[in-house]
Amino acid sequence: VRQATLGSLTDAELVRRCRAGDGAAWDALVERFSRYVYAICTHGFRLSETDAEDVFQEVFTRVYTRLDTLRDDGAIRPWIAQLTRRLCLDTLSAGKRVQPTAEPIAADVEDVLQEIDEAFDVREALTELPDHCQEMLDRFFARDESYRTISAALDLPQGTIASRIARCLTRLRSTLEGRSTGSRGSRE
Amino acid sequence: VRETNYLDLKLDEFLARIAASDESPGGGAAAAITVAVAAGLVAMVARCSHGSWPDGPGVAAQAIAIQERVAPLAQTDARAWDEALGALGSAGEPGSGGDVDLERKLDLAAAVPLEIARFGADVAGLAVLAAERCEGAYHADAAAAAALAAGAARAAAHLVEVNLAVRDEDDRLKLARAIEQEAQEAAARALRVVR
Repeated sequence: VRQATLGSLTDAELVRRCRAGDGAAWDALVERFSRYVYAICTHGFRLSETDAEDVFQEVFTRVYTRLDTLRDDGAIRPWIAQLTRRLCLDTLSAGKRVQPTAEPIAADVEDVLQEIDEAFDVREALTELPDHCQEMLDRFFARDESYRTISAALDLPQGTIASRIARCLTRLRSTLEGRSTGSRGSRE
Repeated sequence: VRETNYLDLKLDEFLARIAASDESPGGGAAAAITVAVAAGLVAMVARCSHGSWPDGPGVAAQAIAIQERVAPLAQTDARAWDEALGALGSAGEPGSGGDVDLERKLDLAAAVPLEIARFGADVAGLAVLAAERCEGAYHADAAAAAALAAGAARAAAHLVEVNLAVRDEDDRLKLARAIEQEAQEAAARALRVVR
């Protein structure tokens, strides 16, 4: 229950709890951003699983030890992204010295990183939607369930599922458009 | 030998592959592409009607999601069918995978068209919604999408039915028939809206 409560906090609120030494908040922070960091490592920079795990460990070690350098608590995500990118590049540079045939990073790395960011924006916006919308969108877009399956699972008329999903998408769009952007990162 | 991705082919090349004397791509791949085309029509209708239909963009997003999922099934179906044919041809020979391997490949050869049929029914359902809510100029395209999707669902359900792994009491066959029925009813509704 406590973890679920922490999961509903904004990034800034979660960071404030971490600063206050709340161990569970740290766990929630790692949980919230672990897929993000991993996605940057593997999709953006095409690191091997082993290298990605090393970067992952180092990113969260630095977050833990340098959180006091973050100026804006709400800017934790861009800060983590910046740390991850730098460490990925360090890993690739080190790898090239000993392994010249290492896979090149994605040529369109900036596009990929932007897509990852957008995906996480959507993921965060989803958490602000009513439960029924979250479930409906998750079932259709993430779990790839048919209208028939969704209808049976939620005990709703099959002919209404597509309309309900469309309305939930409209709400999601409004939520995304209403989200503030432009937080600034740390001094690093 | 590197397999050609059908989605990388030009349309005339894909059509030539369909007409060639090789067994694949066959009916399953054609059904998958037809559902993808129908989904594209629904997306177009929904996007063009967004001025008068607030749910239009959300319906278009669903249609595009289905299109992206069903189109690659053309390749998957052809591969599954080739493997099933190969397993049937070598059944009983030394070095073949045996009955378990054959059954697995036949199961897959039935599972893929079942998935295509399911997408066909979903697109037919979306097309009904589009036909009911879109701007008048696009009614005919919405109805066409429903008819195409229902036809492809019927074709795919038939492929499930004739698959050697599927027997009358098989749940997959019952599901395929139910999905086919849904798609036909949806297409009939969409056509009624237009007439």
